[in-house]
Amino acid sequence: MRHPFALRCLAPFARSFVTAASSASAVYTDPSRQHDLAVATTPADISQKQQCILDAALRVDQAGEIAANWIYRGQMAVLGRDRTTGPIIQDMWNQEKKHLIVMNRLQAQHRVRPTILSDVAKVAGFGLGAMTGIMGKEAAMACTEAVETVIGEHYDDQLKDLDALPSSHPSIPLLKNIIRELRDDELEHLDTAVEHFSQRAPAHALLSTVIGGGCKIAIELCKRM
Amino acid sequence: MSSSSRLLQLAIPLVKTHGFTRKTLSLSALSLPTPHTEPLSDTAISSLWGQGDDARRTLITAWLDDARQQMKNVQSPTIPEVLRARLECNEPVLSYLPEAFALLASPTSGLPPLDIRPGLRHAATVADEACWITKDAATGTSWYTRRASLATIYAVAELHQITSPKTAYHFLDSLLDASSAIKSSLDEAELFTSYIVKGWAGIIKSKGIF
Repeated sequence: MRHPFALRCLAPFARSFVTAASSASAVYTDPSRQHDLAVATTPADISQKQQCILDAALRVDQAGEIAANWIYRGQMAVLGRDRTTGPIIQDMWNQEKKHLIVMNRLQAQHRVRPTILSDVAKVAGFGLGAMTGIMGKEAAMACTEAVETVIGEHYDDQLKDLDALPSSHPSIPLLKNIIRELRDDELEHLDTAVEHFSQRAPAHALLSTVIGGGCKIAIELCKRM
Repeated sequence: MSSSSRLLQLAIPLVKTHGFTRKTLSLSALSLPTPHTEPLSDTAISSLWGQGDDARRTLITAWLDDARQQMKNVQSPTIPEVLRARLECNEPVLSYLPEAFALLASPTSGLPPLDIRPGLRHAATVADEACWITKDAATGTSWYTRRASLATIYAVAELHQITSPKTAYHFLDSLLDASSAIKSSLDEAELFTSYIVKGWAGIIKSKGIF
């Protein structure tokens, strides 16, 4: 397992090389580009195996963004009125809202069946966010740190999986750039959480292990269901 | 495209004349750009598409896939228009459809006595295609409920079409209207419930409980 510190060190390095990726998702929110081939079509000539890779990737990413949104919603329900932590969580939540819009568009574009567990992801996400919020600001940040570490690793692994897809269709390079952008955003959240004393949370190691393990189980379930 | 797929495509227009039969498959060779002098032999059909009814199942599946593709030809597509277009595809072969669906529901190995999965798959794929063509933006649970309701409506309308072709389109519209009315009532109930929950949350907060 990669250490969060390693991911944090990689993030600025990766970001400097992916300037094209930094605004990749903007094409999905730009109405003038809604008919672009990269935004409106899906590769038609890919094999069954490649289609399964694409389906699983988008299904789990969409579920992850749903869960992330509801984690921040849960944290905001408890810590929203805190003058220091509230705006920080709100900023991260706003980015997750944008990610979810992009993932919903990608799911429709590539005709991917969403996970049947989306409502479970919402309830579990809200519960996790609210519970860590009740435990305190540091625990909320430790939750963000644990979740974003797993998600950052997951996006990294997914970029390797997506190399199996043909880059000849314009939607595939765009998808990879979007995943790079999302990974970098998630790693920024990880940085933010550490800067705001996530590691001072009570039983930080235990909390991180439990939340990280839960995220990994959720990823595997959403890929399949 | 393989030669068996090519022949299968050529067999589809012949279904309205000869039904979902091995004869239709055999005559497909006469429609090639350089036609055969004779229809395909029974051995050739078995080797290309399977023994006995397996070849007919292949033809039925190919016809259903083709009819689903025809749904894309609707100008300015809406759900009612797209589903109507799919029902229109049934018209030339309506007399053959009951037997075709019965064959799909007959298990190849004997058990279970009735296999409803091909029927469910047929209705589900039509509903999914209709949502795809109309760029339905449903996500999460509503993705499933939307397709399940459309699949049910289409399946009921198609069964109605087999017994009463002339009234099928009106029946389809009435089912879609009823579905919209139910959805709008549920949405209103959900909105009202959310107001009540928010109201109670406000009362609890104002009492200083949290």
